[in-house]
Amino acid sequence: MSGLLFNLATSTYAIGLISSAIFFIYRKKPFFRVALIAISVGFGIHTAFLIQRGIATGQCPLVDLRDSLAFFAWTVSLCFFISYVRYRVQALGLFLLPMIAVLMLGTFLVRSSPIPEVLRSHWMYFHVLCLALAYGMFFVTFVAGLLYLFQERELKSKKPQTFYYRLPSLDLLDNLFYKFLISGFVFMTLGLLAGMIWAEQKWTDWHTDAKVIAALLTWCIYLTLIFLRMSAGWRGKRAAVINVAGFLSVIITFLSASVLGGFHKF
Amino acid sequence: MKLVLVGLNHRTAPIEVRERLNFPEDRIPEALSRLKNDFGCEEALILSTCNRVEVLGRPQDGCLRADRFKDFLYDFHNLQAPCLEPYLYTFSERETVHHVFRVASSLDSMVVGEPQILGQLKRAYSLATKARTSGLLINSLMHRAFNVAKRVRTETRISSSAVSISYVAVELAKKILGELTSRSILIIGAGKMSELAVKSLMKSGISRVFVTNRTPAKAEELAAKFGGTPLPFAEMFSCLAQVDIAIVSTSADGYVLHKPEMQQLIRRRKYRPLFLIDIAVPRNVDPAVNDIEEIFLYDIDDMQAVIHANMEERRREAESAEAIVAEEVEAYVRRTASRQTGSLVAELRRRLEEICLTELEKNRNAFSAKEYERVERMLRTTAHRLAHPFILHLKNLDGDPRQYEHEVELIKKMFQIKEKE
Repeated sequence: MSGLLFNLATSTYAIGLISSAIFFIYRKKPFFRVALIAISVGFGIHTAFLIQRGIATGQCPLVDLRDSLAFFAWTVSLCFFISYVRYRVQALGLFLLPMIAVLMLGTFLVRSSPIPEVLRSHWMYFHVLCLALAYGMFFVTFVAGLLYLFQERELKSKKPQTFYYRLPSLDLLDNLFYKFLISGFVFMTLGLLAGMIWAEQKWTDWHTDAKVIAALLTWCIYLTLIFLRMSAGWRGKRAAVINVAGFLSVIITFLSASVLGGFHKF
Repeated sequence: MKLVLVGLNHRTAPIEVRERLNFPEDRIPEALSRLKNDFGCEEALILSTCNRVEVLGRPQDGCLRADRFKDFLYDFHNLQAPCLEPYLYTFSERETVHHVFRVASSLDSMVVGEPQILGQLKRAYSLATKARTSGLLINSLMHRAFNVAKRVRTETRISSSAVSISYVAVELAKKILGELTSRSILIIGAGKMSELAVKSLMKSGISRVFVTNRTPAKAEELAAKFGGTPLPFAEMFSCLAQVDIAIVSTSADGYVLHKPEMQQLIRRRKYRPLFLIDIAVPRNVDPAVNDIEEIFLYDIDDMQAVIHANMEERRREAESAEAIVAEEVEAYVRRTASRQTGSLVAELRRRLEEICLTELEKNRNAFSAKEYERVERMLRTTAHRLAHPFILHLKNLDGDPRQYEHEVELIKKMFQIKEKE
């Protein structure tokens, strides 16, 4: 995946990452402004790249693993803006940007093997779109859960140090966690349904595909998390294990086909 | 810059000396007018708070010595001459600017970053303005100082962390619960300390207050004070299951809240975080309660530890604030110097033109009208050319302000330029 726009977006995100790190350490407002501008510009270029690629190929730019990695990065970036606009969490940039960087750089490492022409349909695009959004949101959920643990530990230890001064309140982190968990789950459900309809039309033995099974497992883990949260109020340390398991499962699902084979590569 | 400052503060003088030198606000106008009329100050300002007494001003005829201010202090407070000497500090020129900027930014305060000092300085300035003892120098210095203070406040977090028990309670509550509006609090017992904390919490938006006590009458009394709801002691647990914050300060000798019942409570709350403040000595809540998930128990010592950490935080921030102040002092001194150069340049040119044109005037009849006009233009240009090397010299004199002042004085003397201002 070459292209000037893509490289430009990656470098701008890198600037954003560096200034976020400096901001986290020294907490000088100008660095946050630089980071925010860099991420916004990166996001803009990234969006332009997706559109340009869509126009160039004449279809939705979601036809191979590289595409979906780049799109996954875009959704994480989108989630950063949603959470910043809604909750003003400044510290989040530092934790989301490394993921964006990994995903962007990941596109250089994987080989392109576009999905066969016959299998493409609107259901497929909807399937990939929803799942990328869901995974982006689950990543925010994962990070928010982690930050909650950091902040909680410092408040419990009664020795305010790094995180006490830099992270938002537990209440806000919990809110972030919960909202992104629910929205991620909704998108995942939609994505899976779309995938099933699509598979039913074009593919016969999809029930035994490794990636399908992994995805359903992931879905179950998040369902459990939501259930325990709603009924028993699990949060913080209690929710942490399931949260981590859920996100690991997302990563496994994402990579399973590439490792285990099969053409369901993304 | 011809401003001089004489004063003392909490570091240089003990409270006995500070209160002896204090200027009550209603006597400041009188003091200012005496400084002006009897002690030959063209401009004056007096800042008097419980931690500092400072006299800032411009003595007449550019004299930079502070003796007159000292004389004034002895005279006004009926003190014998050298008794204040060990406590007083004196600043002039650049040091004055530096000191005033530091005071305004609350870097010189006893509790670094406390916000009152800026208001006190603004008040002192408005008194000086009313008494008509603030002139060009004090006006420009004060406005700059207010700006510097604002810059320090917005660019550093020097005053953002809490350094008193009641504000630490608010800060912690916000770290746990986020916004405090629509949150509720239960007060168990009626200790004096808890009242202060509740007051600051209510100021931050806590809306519902419940009070409970073993003696119902006391609960009602306290509830009335905060506009809260009194509750029977037996309902303490059902209330604890609802509220977001609880302050415990009973006079009981042992623990009022134990771990097992609190463990049950948090399950009943569905793990909604509870901020528990134990202000009582001896403590009323079993410290082991802090091990329960989503219960954050702080006793007096814990809050003290937070204050300590916040003080450290302020000290770290003070370093960047000092850098801002130093930068601003540099800029301010440079600006006033260049303003000074500007006015000196104009004066010097005028003086040289004057000398040349007087000579021309003497020989007026030797020229025709047309010739006269030409020679006049020529002489004006010559005067400007003559002034040029001096200006260049002053502009290249970047750096030591003392030497600068000295050379400006020298030029003035050489060309008999009188000071305006």
